[in-house]
Amino acid sequence: MSIETVQLTRVYGSTRAVDGVDLSLSDELRVLALIGPSGGGKSTFLRLIGGLEPPTSGSVRIDGEELPVSEEGLLAFRKKNGFLFQSFNLFPHMDARENIVLPLVEVHSWERAEATRRAEEVAERFGLVEHLGKLPHQLSGGQQQRIALARAMAHEPELLLLDEPTSALDPEMKAEVLDLIGDLCQEGQRIVLSTHEMGFAREASDHIGFLSDGRLIESGPASSLFDAPETEQVRGFLNKVMKW
Amino acid sequence: MKLFLSVFVSVVLGTTFAFIFWVVVSHEYQWEAIAPYWKNFVSGWGMTLAISAGALVLSIVAGVVLTMGQLSPHRIPRWLSRAFVELIRGTPLLTQILIGYYLIADSIGWDSRFGVGLVILSCFSGAYLTEIFRGGVESIPRSQWISARAIGFTEAQTYRFVIIPQAIRRVLPASAGQFANLIKDSSLLFVISVHEFTMQAREANANTYATFEAYLPLVLGYFLLTFPISLWSRHLEKRFAYEH
Repeated sequence: MSIETVQLTRVYGSTRAVDGVDLSLSDELRVLALIGPSGGGKSTFLRLIGGLEPPTSGSVRIDGEELPVSEEGLLAFRKKNGFLFQSFNLFPHMDARENIVLPLVEVHSWERAEATRRAEEVAERFGLVEHLGKLPHQLSGGQQQRIALARAMAHEPELLLLDEPTSALDPEMKAEVLDLIGDLCQEGQRIVLSTHEMGFAREASDHIGFLSDGRLIESGPASSLFDAPETEQVRGFLNKVMKW
Repeated sequence: MKLFLSVFVSVVLGTTFAFIFWVVVSHEYQWEAIAPYWKNFVSGWGMTLAISAGALVLSIVAGVVLTMGQLSPHRIPRWLSRAFVELIRGTPLLTQILIGYYLIADSIGWDSRFGVGLVILSCFSGAYLTEIFRGGVESIPRSQWISARAIGFTEAQTYRFVIIPQAIRRVLPASAGQFANLIKDSSLLFVISVHEFTMQAREANANTYATFEAYLPLVLGYFLLTFPISLWSRHLEKRFAYEH
């Protein structure tokens, strides 16, 4: 996929969460990882790319098509994507199966029987079949996050957006979710993710963007950014987070 | 400490109940004085039941409409609904009934005491329900909205599938309390001569001077109406429960 942003900016009140980001990534890109300090703009950037909210100014092009600005246009765009957030955003009043089935039926107009089959298929693949009948609060954090991932993947999204998908999990659960995302990367799923897992970012992504204070400080192929960062700021950040 | 508290509460409440029961029962009543009025009591109770049942349904409608007004993205419906709720909640029901019947209903030539009473009671109770409903909707975490948005739900779908089912569980106890209030508040309709339960007791008292004998049946009569609501609300709470 190609992603191109021109002077992309999002302002909340007096905070410039994303501040004039220019990024141009060509067709070979499959997995883009956003790294950087907390509050640096990763999540906001991800939301703008995913059409969750319109930019204050600037523009986003994905595969050569400019993201719409109107709410209707953004809604149509969001339907093509899958989104996964940091904390478990499953609907607590429905069991895991219904969490996957409902969007297929209501948003993508599938037949219920077909959607149920699909939910079971995805659950099978993610090793979650025995949990389909459970309510979210009956599942562990890792299981919840995997169900949420199954929900985001059930309609075969063109683009999967992951906002710090493992930040709220303990190490063991982190691994089970990262394994799953790693598999998706291997299979060629197009992904944009923000993460604090440097090892994973390096391993799984083609391209890394480093965001801090809403600005894109550095961007480049995973190997070169990690091995030979160009800016002092990225070097300092990597030294700090990789130290232990 | 816990045991001590349990014992303490049991003893205090137990003796209080026993004392009240003994005082009430040991009084010498002249039931024969009000016996001739038993048919009036029955018809009054029926009237209270009818008007409360009607107002319960209508007040939910009013509450939903007013809540929609308050949650509207537009300023005018929000402001109007706010003003209506504040005005109703901040003024005595008694004056609302008088103004509603003798001024407003009269000016449009509507002369049904039952109908006017029903509408005023519904508006009054609806204003209280609005505050309960609004609180319920606003108590749903923001993450649920974001998640629904990311899935591609429209605003209407978000309310229908995500927000309302969760809000219902949260507003049930307070709503049941409001319904019990509604039933008791219907007694104020005596000012426009609706022949409901309390009015019949007042008349029986006025004719016989047997005050306790005239009013005591109200205890049983109103409790017979409010207690089922309490049970019904418990039942619904269980049905809508999705945690624990």
